[in-house]
Amino acid sequence: MNLLLPGMYMAADSPLHRLDPRVKMGASLLLMALPFAAQSPLSQVLLVGLVIAVARLSRAPLLALLRTLRTVFWIGFFMFFFFLFTTPGEVLVNIQGITLTWQGLLAGATQIYRLCLLVIITALLTFTTSSIQLAHGLESVLGPLKRLRLPVAELVMVLTIALRFVPTVFDEIEKLVKAQRARGADFRSGNPWRRMRGWIAVFVPLFVSAFRRAEELAIAMEARGFRGAQHRTRLYQLSLTRADWLAILIVLAVSLIALLVEQRGSLL
Amino acid sequence: MLIEAENLNHTYALGTPLAQVALRDVNLQIGPGERVGILGASGSGKTTLVQHLAGLLQPTEGRVLLDGIVAHRRTPAALAQRRRIGIAFQNPEDQIFEQTVFREVAFGPRNLGLSQAEVATRVAWALELVGLNPTLMGGRIPFALSGGEMRRVALAGILAMRPHVLILDEPTAGLDPRGRQELLRRVKRWHQEMGLTLIVVSHNLDELARLVERVVLLKAGRVVADGPARRVLSDAALLRSAGLDVPHSVALLHALRAAGWPVRTDQLLPEEAAAEILRVRRAMEEIR
Ligand SMILES: Nc1ncnc2c1ncn2[C@@H]1O[C@H](COP(=O)(O)OP(=O)(O)OP(=O)(O)O)[C@@H](O)[C@H]1O
Ligand SMILES: [Mg+2]
Repeated sequence: MNLLLPGMYMAADSPLHRLDPRVKMGASLLLMALPFAAQSPLSQVLLVGLVIAVARLSRAPLLALLRTLRTVFWIGFFMFFFFLFTTPGEVLVNIQGITLTWQGLLAGATQIYRLCLLVIITALLTFTTSSIQLAHGLESVLGPLKRLRLPVAELVMVLTIALRFVPTVFDEIEKLVKAQRARGADFRSGNPWRRMRGWIAVFVPLFVSAFRRAEELAIAMEARGFRGAQHRTRLYQLSLTRADWLAILIVLAVSLIALLVEQRGSLL
Repeated sequence: MLIEAENLNHTYALGTPLAQVALRDVNLQIGPGERVGILGASGSGKTTLVQHLAGLLQPTEGRVLLDGIVAHRRTPAALAQRRRIGIAFQNPEDQIFEQTVFREVAFGPRNLGLSQAEVATRVAWALELVGLNPTLMGGRIPFALSGGEMRRVALAGILAMRPHVLILDEPTAGLDPRGRQELLRRVKRWHQEMGLTLIVVSHNLDELARLVERVVLLKAGRVVADGPARRVLSDAALLRSAGLDVPHSVALLHALRAAGWPVRTDQLLPEEAAAEILRVRRAMEEIR
Protein backbone atom coordinates (compact mmCIF):
# COMPACT_ATOMS: atom_id res chain seq x y z
CA MET A 1 0.00 0.00 0.00
CA ASN A 2 1.30 3.39 -0.89
CA LEU A 3 -0.84 5.40 1.47
CA LEU A 4 -2.32 5.08 4.87
CA LEU A 5 -6.05 4.97 4.51
CA PRO A 6 -8.25 6.01 7.37
CA GLY A 7 -9.20 2.59 8.67
CA MET A 8 -5.66 1.29 8.88
CA TYR A 9 -4.06 0.61 12.22
CA MET A 10 -0.60 1.98 12.86
CA ALA A 11 1.16 -0.25 15.35
CA ALA A 12 3.01 1.99 17.78
CA ASP A 13 2.93 3.00 21.38
CA SER A 14 1.53 6.37 22.34
CA PRO A 15 -0.69 7.73 25.10
CA LEU A 16 -3.51 7.60 22.58
CA HIS A 17 -2.84 3.96 21.71
CA ARG A 18 -3.15 3.08 25.38
CA LEU A 19 -6.54 4.69 25.92
CA ASP A 20 -9.61 2.52 26.35
CA PRO A 21 -11.25 1.92 22.95
CA ARG A 22 -14.67 2.86 24.35
CA VAL A 23 -13.34 6.23 25.44
CA LYS A 24 -11.76 6.83 22.06
CA MET A 25 -14.91 5.86 20.18
CA GLY A 26 -17.14 7.98 22.37
CA ALA A 27 -14.83 10.97 22.18
CA SER A 28 -14.57 10.63 18.40
CA LEU A 29 -18.33 10.64 18.00
CA LEU A 30 -18.69 13.63 20.28
CA LEU A 31 -15.99 15.63 18.52
CA MET A 32 -17.37 14.76 15.09
CA ALA A 33 -20.82 15.99 16.11
CA LEU A 34 -19.50 19.14 17.76
CA PRO A 35 -19.04 21.33 14.66
CA PHE A 36 -22.71 20.80 13.84
CA ALA A 37 -23.86 21.99 17.26
CA ALA A 38 -21.29 24.69 17.93
CA GLN A 39 -20.66 26.91 14.95
CA SER A 40 -18.97 29.99 16.32
CA PRO A 41 -15.38 30.60 15.21
CA LEU A 42 -14.15 30.45 18.79
CA SER A 43 -15.61 26.94 19.29
CA GLN A 44 -13.94 25.85 16.08
CA VAL A 45 -10.57 27.16 17.26
CA LEU A 46 -11.01 25.16 20.46
CA LEU A 47 -12.02 22.04 18.60
CA VAL A 48 -9.25 22.23 16.02
CA GLY A 49 -6.77 22.95 18.79
CA LEU A 50 -7.86 19.80 20.59
CA VAL A 51 -7.64 17.71 17.43
CA ILE A 52 -4.13 18.99 16.74
CA ALA A 53 -3.10 18.22 20.31
CA VAL A 54 -4.52 14.71 20.01
CA ALA A 55 -2.75 14.23 16.68
CA ARG A 56 0.55 15.19 18.30
CA LEU A 57 -0.13 12.76 21.13
CA SER A 58 -0.90 9.93 18.72
CA ARG A 59 2.62 10.12 17.21
CA ALA A 60 1.02 9.80 13.78
CA PRO A 61 3.17 11.70 11.26
CA LEU A 62 1.35 14.83 10.17
CA LEU A 63 1.89 14.07 6.51
CA ALA A 64 0.35 10.61 6.76
CA LEU A 65 -2.61 12.07 8.58
CA LEU A 66 -3.17 14.80 6.00
CA ARG A 67 -2.80 12.28 3.23
CA THR A 68 -5.89 10.44 4.41
CA LEU A 69 -7.84 13.48 3.22
CA ARG A 70 -7.11 12.40 -0.33
CA THR A 71 -9.67 9.62 0.07
CA VAL A 72 -12.50 12.17 0.23
CA PHE A 73 -11.10 14.60 -2.30
CA TRP A 74 -13.80 14.04 -4.91
CA ILE A 75 -16.67 13.96 -2.44
CA GLY A 76 -15.38 17.20 -0.96
CA PHE A 77 -14.94 18.69 -4.40
CA PHE A 78 -18.54 18.00 -5.41
CA MET A 79 -19.96 19.01 -2.06
CA PHE A 80 -18.16 22.32 -2.25
CA PHE A 81 -19.51 23.16 -5.67
CA PHE A 82 -22.96 21.90 -4.82
CA PHE A 83 -23.23 24.30 -1.89
CA LEU A 84 -21.45 27.05 -3.79
CA PHE A 85 -24.04 27.11 -6.54
CA THR A 86 -27.20 26.18 -4.71
CA THR A 87 -27.11 28.41 -1.64
CA PRO A 88 -29.23 31.52 -2.10
CA GLY A 89 -27.90 34.84 -0.85
CA GLU A 90 -25.83 37.84 -1.76
CA VAL A 91 -24.68 37.36 -5.35
CA LEU A 92 -20.93 37.47 -5.90
CA VAL A 93 -20.68 36.45 -9.53
CA ASN A 94 -23.33 35.86 -12.13
CA ILE A 95 -22.35 33.84 -15.18
CA GLN A 96 -25.23 33.47 -17.61
CA GLY A 97 -27.84 32.87 -14.97
CA ILE A 98 -25.69 30.65 -12.76
CA THR A 99 -25.16 32.56 -9.57
CA LEU A 100 -22.42 32.21 -7.10
CA THR A 101 -23.15 33.62 -3.66
CA TRP A 102 -21.11 34.73 -0.72
CA GLN A 103 -23.25 32.50 1.49
CA GLY A 104 -22.61 29.61 -0.88
CA LEU A 105 -18.88 30.08 -0.62
CA LEU A 106 -19.15 30.04 3.15
CA ALA A 107 -21.46 27.01 3.19
CA GLY A 108 -19.16 25.10 0.82
CA ALA A 109 -16.12 25.88 2.92
CA THR A 110 -17.99 24.83 6.08
CA GLN A 111 -18.87 21.49 4.52
CA ILE A 112 -15.28 20.88 3.50
CA TYR A 113 -14.12 21.76 6.98
CA ARG A 114 -16.58 19.34 8.59
CA LEU A 115 -15.66 16.60 6.16
CA CYS A 116 -11.94 17.05 6.83
CA LEU A 117 -12.54 16.97 10.56
CA LEU A 118 -14.61 13.81 10.18
CA VAL A 119 -11.85 12.07 8.22
CA ILE A 120 -9.03 13.22 10.48
CA ILE A 121 -10.84 12.14 13.63
CA THR A 122 -11.71 8.76 12.12
CA ALA A 123 -8.11 8.36 11.01
CA LEU A 124 -6.82 9.22 14.48
CA LEU A 125 -9.18 6.65 15.97
CA THR A 126 -8.27 3.86 13.60
CA PHE A 127 -4.53 4.66 13.46
CA THR A 128 -4.32 4.22 17.21
CA THR A 129 -6.88 1.46 17.84
CA SER A 130 -6.47 -2.03 16.43
CA SER A 131 -9.50 -3.69 14.93
CA ILE A 132 -9.53 -6.15 17.80
CA GLN A 133 -9.70 -3.31 20.33
CA LEU A 134 -12.37 -1.57 18.27
CA ALA A 135 -14.44 -4.72 18.20
CA HIS A 136 -13.90 -5.35 21.88
CA GLY A 137 -15.01 -1.81 22.70
CA LEU A 138 -17.99 -2.07 20.41
CA GLU A 139 -19.05 -5.36 21.93
CA SER A 140 -18.82 -3.89 25.39
CA VAL A 141 -20.79 -0.78 24.42
CA LEU A 142 -23.45 -2.79 22.60
CA GLY A 143 -23.51 -5.40 25.37
CA PRO A 144 -26.95 -4.38 26.74
CA LEU A 145 -28.50 -5.16 23.34
CA LYS A 146 -27.71 -8.83 23.94
CA ARG A 147 -30.70 -8.90 26.28
CA LEU A 148 -32.88 -8.14 23.27
CA ARG A 149 -31.45 -11.32 21.74
CA LEU A 150 -29.49 -9.41 19.16
CA PRO A 151 -26.40 -11.43 18.10
CA VAL A 152 -24.02 -8.63 19.12
CA ALA A 153 -21.00 -10.86 19.59
CA GLU A 154 -21.44 -12.47 16.18
CA LEU A 155 -21.92 -9.15 14.43
CA VAL A 156 -18.81 -7.79 16.08
CA MET A 157 -16.90 -10.90 15.02
CA VAL A 158 -18.01 -10.41 11.42
CA LEU A 159 -16.94 -6.79 11.62
CA THR A 160 -13.54 -7.69 13.05
CA ILE A 161 -12.88 -10.22 10.33
CA ALA A 162 -13.98 -7.78 7.62
CA LEU A 163 -11.70 -5.08 8.99
CA ARG A 164 -8.85 -7.52 9.25
CA PHE A 165 -9.04 -8.25 5.53
CA VAL A 166 -9.27 -4.68 4.25
CA PRO A 167 -5.50 -4.24 3.84
CA THR A 168 -5.18 -7.75 2.41
CA VAL A 169 -7.72 -6.95 -0.27
CA PHE A 170 -5.97 -3.71 -1.18
CA ASP A 171 -2.63 -5.49 -1.48
CA GLU A 172 -4.23 -8.11 -3.63
CA ILE A 173 -5.79 -5.55 -5.96
CA GLU A 174 -2.42 -3.89 -6.34
CA LYS A 175 -0.78 -7.19 -7.18
CA LEU A 176 -3.46 -8.18 -9.68
CA VAL A 177 -3.32 -4.79 -11.39
CA LYS A 178 0.42 -5.22 -11.87
CA ALA A 179 0.05 -8.79 -13.10
CA GLN A 180 -2.64 -7.96 -15.65
CA ARG A 181 -0.81 -4.82 -16.73
CA ALA A 182 2.11 -7.10 -17.57
CA ARG A 183 -0.31 -8.98 -19.83
CA GLY A 184 -1.15 -5.80 -21.68
CA ALA A 185 -4.26 -4.79 -19.72
CA ASP A 186 -4.88 -1.08 -19.78
CA PHE A 187 -6.34 0.68 -16.75
CA ARG A 188 -5.59 4.31 -17.40
CA SER A 189 -5.86 5.16 -21.06
CA GLY A 190 -7.37 3.19 -23.89
CA ASN A 191 -11.05 2.91 -24.72
CA PRO A 192 -13.61 2.22 -21.96
CA TRP A 193 -14.25 -1.31 -23.23
CA ARG A 194 -10.61 -2.26 -22.83
CA ARG A 195 -10.40 -0.61 -19.47
CA MET A 196 -13.42 -2.56 -18.32
CA ARG A 197 -11.86 -5.81 -19.51
CA GLY A 198 -8.82 -4.90 -17.44
CA TRP A 199 -10.89 -4.45 -14.30
CA ILE A 200 -12.75 -7.69 -14.91
CA ALA A 201 -9.36 -9.39 -15.05
CA VAL A 202 -8.68 -7.93 -11.61
CA PHE A 203 -12.00 -8.43 -9.87
CA VAL A 204 -12.79 -11.98 -10.92
CA PRO A 205 -9.60 -13.41 -9.38
CA LEU A 206 -10.09 -11.11 -6.40
CA PHE A 207 -13.51 -12.62 -5.66
CA VAL A 208 -12.29 -16.13 -6.33
CA SER A 209 -9.56 -15.72 -3.74
CA ALA A 210 -11.90 -13.95 -1.30
CA PHE A 211 -14.29 -16.90 -1.37
CA ARG A 212 -11.46 -19.35 -1.02
CA ARG A 213 -10.10 -17.40 1.93
CA ALA A 214 -13.53 -17.27 3.56
CA GLU A 215 -13.84 -21.02 3.24
CA GLU A 216 -10.38 -21.64 4.65
CA LEU A 217 -11.05 -19.27 7.52
CA ALA A 218 -14.34 -20.98 8.33
CA ILE A 219 -12.67 -24.38 8.40
CA ALA A 220 -9.79 -23.09 10.49
CA MET A 221 -12.16 -21.49 12.99
CA GLU A 222 -14.25 -24.61 13.25
CA ALA A 223 -11.16 -26.77 13.64
CA ARG A 224 -10.20 -24.67 16.63
CA GLY A 225 -13.57 -25.13 18.27
CA PHE A 226 -15.33 -21.90 17.34
CA ARG A 227 -19.04 -22.39 18.07
CA GLY A 228 -20.44 -18.92 17.88
CA ALA A 229 -19.14 -15.87 19.60
CA GLN A 230 -21.33 -15.96 22.72
CA HIS A 231 -19.13 -18.67 24.23
CA ARG A 232 -16.03 -16.54 23.92
CA THR A 233 -14.27 -15.04 26.87
CA ARG A 234 -11.67 -12.31 26.76
CA LEU A 235 -8.08 -12.50 27.86
CA TYR A 236 -7.99 -8.76 28.51
CA GLN A 237 -10.93 -7.10 30.22
CA LEU A 238 -11.57 -3.46 29.54
CA SER A 239 -11.30 -1.17 32.50
CA LEU A 240 -10.92 2.57 32.68
CA THR A 241 -7.60 3.92 33.92
CA ARG A 242 -6.76 7.35 35.26
CA ALA A 243 -5.63 8.41 31.77
CA ASP A 244 -9.04 7.37 30.42
CA TRP A 245 -10.85 9.50 32.99
CA LEU A 246 -8.56 12.41 32.21
CA ALA A 247 -9.32 12.05 28.50
CA ILE A 248 -13.05 11.94 29.17
CA LEU A 249 -12.74 15.04 31.34
CA ILE A 250 -10.79 17.00 28.71
CA VAL A 251 -13.09 16.09 25.85
CA LEU A 252 -16.21 16.87 27.88
CA ALA A 253 -14.73 20.15 29.07
CA VAL A 254 -13.81 21.27 25.58
CA SER A 255 -17.22 20.30 24.24
CA LEU A 256 -18.97 22.10 27.05
CA ILE A 257 -16.94 25.25 26.64
CA ALA A 258 -17.49 25.19 22.89
CA LEU A 259 -21.23 24.92 23.42
CA LEU A 260 -21.24 27.64 26.09
CA VAL A 261 -19.30 30.00 23.84
CA GLU A 262 -21.94 29.25 21.26
CA GLN A 263 -24.76 30.19 23.68
CA ARG A 264 -23.04 33.39 24.68
CA GLY A 265 -22.37 34.15 21.04
CA SER A 266 -26.01 33.82 20.10
CA LEU A 267 -27.08 35.91 23.09
CA LEU A 268 -24.82 38.75 22.12
CA MET B 1 17.13 -6.86 -25.00
CA LEU B 2 19.52 -5.19 -22.59
CA ILE B 3 18.11 -4.61 -19.12
CA GLU B 4 19.92 -2.19 -16.85
CA ALA B 5 19.14 -1.20 -13.29
CA GLU B 6 20.91 1.98 -12.29
CA ASN B 7 21.21 2.88 -8.64
CA LEU B 8 17.77 1.41 -8.07
CA ASN B 9 16.10 2.08 -4.72
CA HIS B 10 12.62 1.11 -3.69
CA THR B 11 10.72 1.93 -0.52
CA TYR B 12 7.17 0.72 -0.03
CA ALA B 13 4.69 3.03 1.70
CA LEU B 14 7.15 5.89 1.50
CA GLY B 15 6.39 8.76 3.86
CA THR B 16 4.24 6.69 6.21
CA PRO B 17 5.14 4.91 9.44
CA LEU B 18 4.82 1.65 7.52
CA ALA B 19 7.66 2.57 5.16
CA GLN B 20 9.68 -0.47 4.20
CA VAL B 21 12.90 -0.32 2.24
CA ALA B 22 12.91 -3.18 -0.25
CA LEU B 23 15.82 -2.33 -2.57
CA ARG B 24 18.98 -0.34 -1.93
CA ASP B 25 21.34 0.92 -4.63
CA VAL B 26 20.90 -1.99 -6.98
CA ASN B 27 23.06 -1.89 -10.10
CA LEU B 28 22.61 -4.67 -12.59
CA GLN B 29 22.93 -5.42 -16.30
CA ILE B 30 21.31 -8.36 -17.98
CA GLY B 31 22.16 -8.98 -21.61
CA PRO B 32 20.15 -10.74 -24.32
CA GLY B 33 19.91 -14.51 -23.97
CA GLU B 34 21.32 -14.65 -20.46
CA ARG B 35 19.97 -17.03 -17.84
CA VAL B 36 20.03 -15.24 -14.51
CA GLY B 37 18.85 -16.46 -11.12
CA ILE B 38 17.74 -13.99 -8.47
CA LEU B 39 18.42 -15.49 -5.08
CA GLY B 40 17.82 -14.31 -1.55
CA ALA B 41 16.07 -15.08 1.71
CA SER B 42 12.40 -14.27 2.22
CA GLY B 43 11.83 -10.52 2.19
CA SER B 44 15.20 -9.77 0.60
CA GLY B 45 13.56 -7.91 -2.29
CA LYS B 46 13.58 -10.49 -5.10
CA THR B 47 10.00 -9.90 -6.17
CA THR B 48 10.39 -6.15 -5.95
CA LEU B 49 13.51 -6.30 -8.11
CA VAL B 50 11.99 -8.38 -10.90
CA GLN B 51 8.85 -6.24 -10.96
CA HIS B 52 11.12 -3.26 -11.51
CA LEU B 53 12.94 -5.06 -14.31
CA ALA B 54 9.53 -5.55 -15.94
CA GLY B 55 8.78 -1.83 -15.57
CA LEU B 56 5.81 -2.44 -13.28
CA LEU B 57 6.95 -0.32 -10.36
CA GLN B 58 8.10 3.24 -10.12
CA PRO B 59 11.52 3.46 -8.47
CA THR B 60 11.86 5.60 -5.38
CA GLU B 61 15.28 6.48 -6.75
CA GLY B 62 17.34 5.42 -9.74
CA ARG B 63 15.91 3.81 -12.86
CA VAL B 64 15.58 0.75 -15.01
CA LEU B 65 16.49 0.97 -18.67
CA LEU B 66 15.17 -1.42 -21.30
CA ASP B 67 17.40 -1.05 -24.36
CA GLY B 68 18.16 2.44 -23.11
CA ILE B 69 14.54 3.47 -22.51
CA VAL B 70 13.30 4.27 -19.00
CA ALA B 71 11.04 1.34 -18.16
CA HIS B 72 8.19 2.60 -15.99
CA ARG B 73 7.26 5.72 -17.97
CA ARG B 74 3.90 6.09 -19.65
CA THR B 75 5.34 6.82 -23.08
CA PRO B 76 4.58 4.62 -26.11
CA ALA B 77 8.29 3.78 -26.39
CA ALA B 78 8.40 2.51 -22.81
CA LEU B 79 5.18 0.57 -23.34
CA ALA B 80 6.62 -1.08 -26.44
CA GLN B 81 9.70 -2.14 -24.46
CA ARG B 82 7.63 -3.46 -21.56
CA ARG B 83 5.60 -5.59 -23.94
CA ARG B 84 8.76 -7.48 -24.81
CA ILE B 85 8.99 -8.68 -21.22
CA GLY B 86 6.82 -11.48 -19.92
CA ILE B 87 6.57 -11.86 -16.17
CA ALA B 88 4.91 -14.67 -14.27
CA PHE B 89 4.16 -13.62 -10.71
CA GLN B 90 4.40 -15.97 -7.79
CA ASN B 91 1.40 -18.36 -8.11
CA PRO B 92 0.38 -17.00 -11.53
CA GLU B 93 -2.71 -19.23 -11.48
CA ASP B 94 -4.22 -16.71 -9.03
CA GLN B 95 -4.67 -14.29 -11.93
CA ILE B 96 -6.86 -16.54 -14.04
CA PHE B 97 -10.23 -14.97 -14.72
CA GLU B 98 -11.71 -16.14 -18.02
CA GLN B 99 -14.38 -18.80 -18.59
CA THR B 100 -12.29 -20.94 -20.91
CA VAL B 101 -8.64 -21.82 -21.23
CA PHE B 102 -8.57 -20.43 -24.75
CA ARG B 103 -9.90 -17.03 -23.72
CA GLU B 104 -7.57 -16.90 -20.75
CA VAL B 105 -4.48 -17.47 -22.89
CA ALA B 106 -5.85 -15.09 -25.52
CA PHE B 107 -6.10 -12.15 -23.08
CA GLY B 108 -2.51 -11.00 -23.65
CA PRO B 109 -2.40 -11.37 -27.45
CA ARG B 110 -5.77 -9.60 -27.71
CA ASN B 111 -4.41 -6.72 -25.69
CA LEU B 112 -1.61 -6.51 -28.22
CA GLY B 113 -4.31 -5.79 -30.81
CA LEU B 114 -3.63 -8.86 -32.96
CA SER B 115 -6.13 -10.26 -35.47
CA GLN B 116 -8.47 -13.10 -34.46
CA ALA B 117 -6.56 -15.58 -36.59
CA GLU B 118 -3.20 -14.53 -35.19
CA VAL B 119 -4.57 -14.73 -31.65
CA ALA B 120 -5.81 -18.28 -32.28
CA THR B 121 -2.45 -19.34 -33.72
CA ARG B 122 -0.61 -17.90 -30.75
CA VAL B 123 -2.92 -19.53 -28.21
CA ALA B 124 -2.47 -22.95 -29.81
CA TRP B 125 1.29 -22.43 -30.01
CA ALA B 126 1.54 -21.33 -26.39
CA LEU B 127 -0.61 -24.20 -25.09
CA GLU B 128 1.61 -26.66 -26.96
CA LEU B 129 4.66 -25.04 -25.37
CA VAL B 130 3.36 -25.73 -21.86
CA GLY B 131 2.36 -29.26 -22.81
CA LEU B 132 -1.40 -28.81 -23.01
CA ASN B 133 -3.33 -30.03 -26.02
CA PRO B 134 -5.07 -26.97 -27.55
CA THR B 135 -8.01 -28.89 -28.99
CA LEU B 136 -8.69 -30.82 -25.81
CA MET B 137 -7.99 -28.03 -23.34
CA GLY B 138 -9.05 -24.89 -25.19
CA GLY B 139 -12.72 -25.15 -24.24
CA ARG B 140 -12.29 -26.20 -20.64
CA ILE B 141 -13.01 -24.07 -17.60
CA PRO B 142 -9.69 -23.03 -16.06
CA PHE B 143 -11.03 -23.10 -12.49
CA ALA B 144 -11.88 -26.79 -12.88
CA LEU B 145 -8.28 -27.74 -13.68
CA SER B 146 -5.67 -29.01 -11.25
CA GLY B 147 -3.27 -26.53 -9.67
CA GLY B 148 -0.43 -27.68 -11.89
CA GLU B 149 -2.52 -27.38 -15.04
CA MET B 150 -3.71 -23.93 -14.00
CA ARG B 151 -0.11 -22.86 -13.56
CA ARG B 152 0.64 -24.04 -17.07
CA VAL B 153 -2.36 -22.18 -18.47
CA ALA B 154 -1.15 -19.01 -16.75
CA LEU B 155 2.33 -19.47 -18.19
CA ALA B 156 0.86 -20.05 -21.64
CA GLY B 157 -0.97 -16.74 -21.27
CA ILE B 158 2.38 -15.03 -20.85
CA LEU B 159 4.24 -16.96 -23.55
CA ALA B 160 1.45 -16.20 -26.02
CA MET B 161 2.62 -12.59 -25.98
CA ARG B 162 5.94 -13.82 -27.44
CA PRO B 163 8.20 -12.05 -24.96
CA HIS B 164 11.93 -11.65 -25.53
CA VAL B 165 12.55 -11.77 -21.81
CA LEU B 166 10.80 -14.21 -19.51
CA ILE B 167 10.76 -13.47 -15.80
CA LEU B 168 9.57 -16.24 -13.50
CA ASP B 169 8.94 -15.53 -9.81
CA GLU B 170 9.17 -18.83 -7.90
CA PRO B 171 7.87 -20.82 -10.87
CA THR B 172 7.91 -24.21 -9.16
CA ALA B 173 6.56 -23.23 -5.75
CA GLY B 174 3.71 -25.53 -4.79
CA LEU B 175 4.26 -28.10 -7.57
CA ASP B 176 5.00 -31.75 -6.91
CA PRO B 177 8.51 -33.04 -7.70
CA ARG B 178 7.50 -34.30 -11.11
CA GLY B 179 5.71 -31.09 -11.96
CA ARG B 180 8.82 -29.16 -10.93
CA GLN B 181 11.17 -31.26 -13.03
CA GLU B 182 8.95 -31.05 -16.05
CA LEU B 183 8.50 -27.30 -15.77
CA LEU B 184 12.24 -26.74 -15.41
CA ARG B 185 12.92 -28.88 -18.45
CA ARG B 186 10.39 -26.89 -20.46
CA VAL B 187 11.74 -23.54 -19.33
CA LYS B 188 15.20 -24.59 -20.40
CA ARG B 189 13.87 -25.67 -23.77
CA TRP B 190 12.10 -22.32 -24.28
CA HIS B 191 15.39 -20.59 -23.61
CA GLN B 192 17.22 -22.73 -26.15
CA GLU B 193 14.61 -22.68 -28.87
CA MET B 194 13.47 -19.07 -28.70
CA GLY B 195 16.63 -17.42 -27.45
CA LEU B 196 14.71 -16.00 -24.50
CA THR B 197 16.45 -14.09 -21.78
CA LEU B 198 15.57 -15.91 -18.60
CA ILE B 199 15.31 -14.33 -15.16
CA VAL B 200 14.27 -16.76 -12.45
CA VAL B 201 13.53 -16.00 -8.81
CA SER B 202 13.88 -18.94 -6.47
CA HIS B 203 14.98 -20.06 -3.05
CA ASN B 204 15.58 -23.52 -4.38
CA LEU B 205 19.32 -23.68 -5.01
CA ASP B 206 19.26 -27.10 -6.63
CA GLU B 207 16.77 -25.87 -9.19
CA LEU B 208 18.69 -22.68 -9.87
CA ALA B 209 21.88 -24.69 -10.30
CA ARG B 210 20.20 -26.58 -13.11
CA LEU B 211 18.60 -23.61 -14.76
CA VAL B 212 20.83 -20.56 -14.68
CA GLU B 213 24.40 -19.61 -15.51
CA ARG B 214 24.56 -16.47 -13.42
CA VAL B 215 23.28 -15.72 -9.94
CA VAL B 216 22.45 -12.39 -8.32
CA LEU B 217 22.32 -12.72 -4.55
CA LEU B 218 20.23 -10.27 -2.54
CA LYS B 219 20.41 -9.58 1.15
CA ALA B 220 18.10 -7.03 2.77
CA GLY B 221 17.56 -5.30 -0.57
CA ARG B 222 21.24 -5.09 -1.54
CA VAL B 223 23.09 -7.08 -4.18
CA VAL B 224 25.77 -8.91 -2.20
CA ALA B 225 27.00 -11.12 -5.02
CA ASP B 226 26.61 -11.23 -8.79
CA GLY B 227 28.56 -13.78 -10.74
CA PRO B 228 28.73 -17.21 -12.36
CA ALA B 229 26.34 -19.68 -10.74
CA ARG B 230 29.23 -22.05 -10.05
CA ARG B 231 31.06 -19.47 -7.98
CA VAL B 232 28.12 -17.98 -6.06
CA LEU B 233 26.27 -21.24 -5.38
CA SER B 234 29.36 -23.01 -4.03
CA ASP B 235 30.34 -20.20 -1.65
CA ALA B 236 28.88 -21.62 1.54
CA ALA B 237 29.96 -18.71 3.76
CA LEU B 238 28.40 -16.15 1.43
CA LEU B 239 25.14 -18.04 1.08
CA ARG B 240 24.82 -18.64 4.80
CA SER B 241 25.49 -14.98 5.56
CA ALA B 242 22.57 -14.16 3.26
CA GLY B 243 20.32 -16.48 5.24
CA LEU B 244 20.37 -19.34 2.74
CA ASP B 245 21.68 -22.87 2.61
CA VAL B 246 23.93 -24.39 -0.08
CA PRO B 247 22.89 -26.82 -2.85
CA HIS B 248 22.80 -30.41 -1.64
CA SER B 249 25.73 -31.44 -3.81
CA VAL B 250 27.86 -28.60 -2.49
CA ALA B 251 26.94 -29.48 1.11
CA LEU B 252 27.99 -33.08 0.47
CA LEU B 253 31.30 -32.04 -1.08
CA HIS B 254 32.00 -29.69 1.81
CA ALA B 255 31.35 -32.53 4.26
CA LEU B 256 33.71 -34.82 2.34
CA ARG B 257 36.34 -32.13 2.34
CA ALA B 258 35.97 -31.69 6.08
CA ALA B 259 36.51 -35.46 6.38
CA GLY B 260 39.81 -35.12 4.54
CA TRP B 261 38.87 -35.84 0.93
CA PRO B 262 40.53 -33.39 -1.48
CA VAL B 263 37.38 -32.79 -3.54
CA ARG B 264 36.51 -29.56 -5.35
CA THR B 265 33.40 -28.05 -3.81
CA ASP B 266 32.08 -26.15 -6.83
CA GLN B 267 30.22 -29.05 -8.42
CA LEU B 268 26.58 -27.96 -8.18
CA LEU B 269 24.63 -30.86 -9.66
CA PRO B 270 24.37 -34.37 -8.20
CA GLU B 271 25.87 -35.92 -11.32
CA GLU B 272 28.76 -33.45 -11.23
CA ALA B 273 29.34 -34.18 -7.56
CA ALA B 274 29.26 -37.93 -8.23
CA ALA B 275 31.83 -37.56 -11.01
CA GLU B 276 34.04 -35.47 -8.74
CA ILE B 277 33.86 -38.03 -5.93
CA LEU B 278 34.70 -40.85 -8.33
CA ARG B 279 37.61 -38.87 -9.75
CA VAL B 280 39.09 -38.25 -6.32
CA ARG B 281 38.56 -41.84 -5.24
CA ARG B 282 40.32 -43.09 -8.32
CA ALA B 283 43.19 -40.69 -7.71
CA MET B 284 43.48 -41.84 -4.11
CA GLU B 285 43.46 -45.50 -5.14
CA GLU B 286 46.24 -44.82 -7.63
CA ILE B 287 48.34 -43.23 -4.92
CA ARG B 288 47.79 -46.24 -2.73
N1 LIG C 1 3.13 -4.24 -1.41
C1 LIG C 1 3.97 -4.06 -0.39
N2 LIG C 1 3.75 -3.12 0.56
C2 LIG C 1 4.61 -2.94 1.58
N3 LIG C 1 5.72 -3.64 1.75
C3 LIG C 1 6.00 -4.59 0.86
C4 LIG C 1 5.15 -4.86 -0.26
N4 LIG C 1 5.69 -5.86 -0.98
C5 LIG C 1 6.82 -6.21 -0.34
N5 LIG C 1 7.01 -5.45 0.76
C6 LIG C 1 8.17 -5.53 1.68
O1 LIG C 1 9.36 -5.33 0.94
C7 LIG C 1 10.36 -6.25 1.29
C8 LIG C 1 10.80 -7.06 0.08
O2 LIG C 1 9.71 -7.82 -0.37
P1 LIG C 1 9.77 -8.79 -1.62
O3 LIG C 1 8.40 -9.30 -1.85
O4 LIG C 1 10.44 -8.11 -2.75
O5 LIG C 1 10.70 -9.96 -1.05
P2 LIG C 1 11.00 -11.40 -1.67
O6 LIG C 1 12.49 -11.53 -1.67
O7 LIG C 1 10.29 -11.59 -2.95
O8 LIG C 1 10.40 -12.36 -0.54
P3 LIG C 1 9.70 -13.80 -0.71
O9 LIG C 1 10.80 -14.78 -0.90
O10 LIG C 1 9.03 -13.99 0.61
O11 LIG C 1 8.76 -13.74 -1.85
C9 LIG C 1 9.76 -7.11 2.40
O12 LIG C 1 10.25 -6.62 3.61
C10 LIG C 1 8.29 -6.91 2.27
O13 LIG C 1 7.69 -6.96 3.54
MG1 LIG D 1 8.72 -12.88 -3.62
